Amino acid sequence: MNKRHILTLIIIFLYQSITFAADKTDFLRSTGKIYVVTVGIAVIFLGIIFFLIYLDRKLTKLENQLKK
Amino acid sequence: MMNEQNIRVKGIYWKAAGCLLFLYVLIGGMIVPLKSGVTQLSTTSASSGDTLAITVTGYNTHFAEAKNNRAWLKIDSAHHIQSYNVKAIDENDIVLSFAIPNAMPTNETPVAATLLIDNEIDGVIVQPNAIFITNTRTDTTASATWMASALGDFNKVQGIKFPYRNILNETIRNTFFHVALWFAMFALLFAGVYYAIQYLRTGDYTMDIKSASYTKVAILYGMMGLLTGAIWGKFTWGTYWPNDIKLNMAAVAMMMYVAYLILRGSTTDYDKRAKTSASYSIFAFLALIPLLFIIPRINDSLHPGNGGNPALGGEDLDHTLRLFFYPSIIAQILLGLWMGQLLIRYEAIKERLLSKNKINQTPIVGQSNPI
Repeated sequence: MNKRHILTLIIIFLYQSITFAADKTDFLRSTGKIYVVTVGIAVIFLGIIFFLIYLDRKLTKLENQLKK
Repeated sequence: MMNEQNIRVKGIYWKAAGCLLFLYVLIGGMIVPLKSGVTQLSTTSASSGDTLAITVTGYNTHFAEAKNNRAWLKIDSAHHIQSYNVKAIDENDIVLSFAIPNAMPTNETPVAATLLIDNEIDGVIVQPNAIFITNTRTDTTASATWMASALGDFNKVQGIKFPYRNILNETIRNTFFHVALWFAMFALLFAGVYYAIQYLRTGDYTMDIKSASYTKVAILYGMMGLLTGAIWGKFTWGTYWPNDIKLNMAAVAMMMYVAYLILRGSTTDYDKRAKTSASYSIFAFLALIPLLFIIPRINDSLHPGNGGNPALGGEDLDHTLRLFFYPSIIAQILLGLWMGQLLIRYEAIKERLLSKNKINQTPIVGQSNPI
């Protein structure tokens, strides 16, 4: 029981020091919110990738029908 | 013979142009720095007759490196005072001291003053409504006076820099992605409507394929536009969806186009499908104009360019932003045309294989046994 109490206290202490030491804003709001732009670009990239996957699957279905 | 075999991509020139333009926008749009701006002021209020010392925190500033930092508080074109003591703490922090005169130009209180900071590296930073000065109406004992001379000899900004906006910060770069996406979507929808009209006029089935393909790519662009807009809004307006009129109308527009997709999937009869979807796409495109442009401008909106906000232009679209904004629209249109053409070529191949009986007609999703 003593060990568990000490462990809990250590965890609470560490958690506090981590949160106080961290940036007062979260990651996406830090450095002038440049990473918000990065996420936007990633969305566009993923959109194009989804299109590629869609097209790829359609072509594969067609090819499979041809093989028969 | 050799040339035809080497170039395996049809229309490689305009496709390469689209890719290179987009690369230019991506790299340039991210590398060009922002102009200097003010992120924090230690105090925003003062009284007439006060000696005011403000600590200003800046973004992309070089206060320590600059040799000639100057600052002014300006009420209007005939009333300003210059800071008598400017001390840079580090590159981004500076302490400005002002001696505010006893007499204010008008009787109203408080009066909003614009803060201007200028140095030879950053150029001039303008922060409107930075300090609110309360008129304490003390008697006019000897004090500083408001200057009326023209404030004109500011340093120019060196090189190309994007405008600094307080809440937007770096996200102003999203103009090249989110905003250009909607413009490109519009262009693609226009292509879709053009081919829809051609189909209704000529009955040529390939026109219907073209119309559907470009419209499908435009729907993809619209969905990405909503998504990028929501992400942008979360970190500027504070919420993904503020129930703003422009956003709601855009969602209605996208739902109309999802209905277009459902309409196309609802029947196997090529003629019926072509006729209904061509007429529907013309109607949907015409409906976009009141939905996206007219209704939002009449109502109050958070979204730039609509009721209560200045139109897209002026302060929102600097000449430096235009350098990347217009190429981005062109690049995304070209990429969208490429994607549309791939869909068209797929349908064309499928048609030819069907007519040669090399493949069977694929059943509609969900229909297991066509009667």
